[in-house]
Amino acid sequence: MSEITDSNFEKASVRDTAFRVRMRRFFGVLQRLTSNPTTVVGLVLIALMLAMAIFAPWITEANTPDAYQMPRDWGAVRKPPGTPGHWLGTTNEGGDVFYGVIWGSRTSLQLSLYVVGSTMVIGTIIGSVAGLVGGWVDEVLMRIVDVFLSIPELIFALAIAAVLGPSFTNIIIALAMVIWVKYARIMRAQVIQIKQNDYVDAARVIGDSKLNIYLKDILPNAVTPVTVQATLDMGNVVLIGATLSFIGLSEAGIAEWGVLVSEGQAGIASGRWWASTFPGLMIFLWALAFNLVGDGLRDALDPRTEGR
Amino acid sequence: MNSAPKPESATSEVLLSISDVQKYYPIREGALQRVAGHVRAVDGVSFDIRRGETVGLVGESGCGKTTLGRVVSGLTDATGGAVHYNLDGTLSQIDHLQDLQARQFRRNCQMVFQDSFASLNPRHLVLDIVGRPLRVYNEASSGDLVERVVELLEQVGLGRQHLYRYPHQFSGGQRQRISIARALALNPEIIVLDEPTSALDVSVQAQILNLLNDLQAERNLAYLFVTHDLSVVRHMADRLVVMYLGKVCEAGETQSIFAAPHHPYTRALMAAKPDLDDDRAGENVKGLDGIVPDPARPPQGCRFHTRCEMATPVCGWEVDDVVRWLEDEPGMFEHLSGVERQSEFNAELAFDSEEAAAKLSMAIRSESVPAAMKSALKRLKLDGHKVDIEFEAVDEVQLTARDGGRLASCVLDPDEVAAKSQ
Repeated sequence: MSEITDSNFEKASVRDTAFRVRMRRFFGVLQRLTSNPTTVVGLVLIALMLAMAIFAPWITEANTPDAYQMPRDWGAVRKPPGTPGHWLGTTNEGGDVFYGVIWGSRTSLQLSLYVVGSTMVIGTIIGSVAGLVGGWVDEVLMRIVDVFLSIPELIFALAIAAVLGPSFTNIIIALAMVIWVKYARIMRAQVIQIKQNDYVDAARVIGDSKLNIYLKDILPNAVTPVTVQATLDMGNVVLIGATLSFIGLSEAGIAEWGVLVSEGQAGIASGRWWASTFPGLMIFLWALAFNLVGDGLRDALDPRTEGR
Repeated sequence: MNSAPKPESATSEVLLSISDVQKYYPIREGALQRVAGHVRAVDGVSFDIRRGETVGLVGESGCGKTTLGRVVSGLTDATGGAVHYNLDGTLSQIDHLQDLQARQFRRNCQMVFQDSFASLNPRHLVLDIVGRPLRVYNEASSGDLVERVVELLEQVGLGRQHLYRYPHQFSGGQRQRISIARALALNPEIIVLDEPTSALDVSVQAQILNLLNDLQAERNLAYLFVTHDLSVVRHMADRLVVMYLGKVCEAGETQSIFAAPHHPYTRALMAAKPDLDDDRAGENVKGLDGIVPDPARPPQGCRFHTRCEMATPVCGWEVDDVVRWLEDEPGMFEHLSGVERQSEFNAELAFDSEEAAAKLSMAIRSESVPAAMKSALKRLKLDGHKVDIEFEAVDEVQLTARDGGRLASCVLDPDEVAAKSQ
């Protein structure tokens, strides 16, 4: 028989437990991910910004009573960067830009986690139901999705947020309502494609339950594009959220990058560039980092390169 | 690879019985998805599989053999007819089974697929794949699951060293062995083999076939061997069922069919497969010509008559045959503007010019049409730019019993078939 008889490999795999082999596969993906320099840049940026969000109370003293409100130092308004106590300057209302940059990362992390987390779950469930059940259920669900997709994301989110009234929570709700359709679409296409595979039929012939077939055969093979999309959306959501904040759909005075850019933009003409630039740079870096990692993840999880 | 005829097979009990099974797929058209017709993938097939025997199901691509295999294994529901399975001595219809009986059938009827890569979940280890049936039926505790899987792997020529690997780390033949091990896990009585060796190298094919033979001998397994490869089935099957366009055209003992096929289609299939140890080597054998007709509109009479070398006037010549023939005739088909059918055998062909109509009625009387078709013609009337055509109406050619328990659906005697093919 013409088989791969690398005796060392065989001995090694006899000793392997299933757990170790699975870990090795996981590390293989990780290795492919980190072999791409732009992905590593993205990962480092994400790590830094996550550290910023997590350690915010230790980096700058939390404002009381609400840490997400900008502290106001009315004695030091419109100070340029380098002012002692206000390293990145202050805003028109005496808000510390450095505080806004640091705590803004927390706000952004919350925004993206809530939106992406909830839409991923909702979209996956709805897409799976449409793909698995098919027929008129699929037809109805997908027509609803089409209605949502026919309106541009930003315009739609803006309309919802405007109806709900200006608040940061409403931005989260508006974005979640707009974005779930993407996951439903992706998931439905994946499920329809994967459920036609012979290994699904093989599981049916064995007599395994429908739930088990979905959880063991369909879902694990379908999630790759959803994971990639979720990573990209972690960045995009912050971008759209900042846009909505910028046009005033968030509460004023909140430590949010979009709000800060909005508040600082009036001063740019008078030479006070810092109040808008630093939060704007953060939005840029955040979106860039997740897009870099998302692209890298897409390549690393590509089945054509995996394990061949 | 030598399968001696099993003497007890003729008398041993029926394990699975297929009676008049039909599988029609609706063809939907238009915005309202109105059903415009049906593709008759399987159109009334009946045969039995006995305990421990191999039945070979052969035919060209698209003849419905794979669909029938899926119906037998319970993956697809039949739209008509029934499959009965022998559960504790009584034949029970498989789509009416309840709880325990359904489980019993499910365990006893397994399947091996053609594409060994697509039939194994790429994210599961061999241990998960082969152990899965055991887990589903709580056959093995997690403690002895590994040992049970190793046992199964050893039966198919693999071993402990393959437990913790992913399907893509194996060759095609090894993957098919894994599939077979999974099918064996629940100790089934019958395995549907859907082209299990078609995707493999010839040398690997032989190994898998030998393995299947050995397993059958050890476990008294029955196989439904679905394939297009006659040379494979010759070595594997005790009995053959030859399908064409959703219907059985010949069935019987493998040896006797190979010795003397009673249906011209079977003969053409055998001729189409060049055999190395054939004494006709070097001679140009006449294989199958033409394309398989649309299964949504199967031909009248004998379904094979459109491609048959020895078709007679009573084989079911019809209007469609004239249209099909016209399609290959340059300078006439373009002028055909409409076909108004009274029946399958009677229609008015309208042309856009009287000249073309006259040309057709001339051509049909000439030597360029099959002689059998010409003599089946009852009426041919030229009327301006229209041609009225009527053929002798013929009923569908049924399977008839022949000597030695054979079945065949051909209007010709076996002797005539043999004589005409010389």
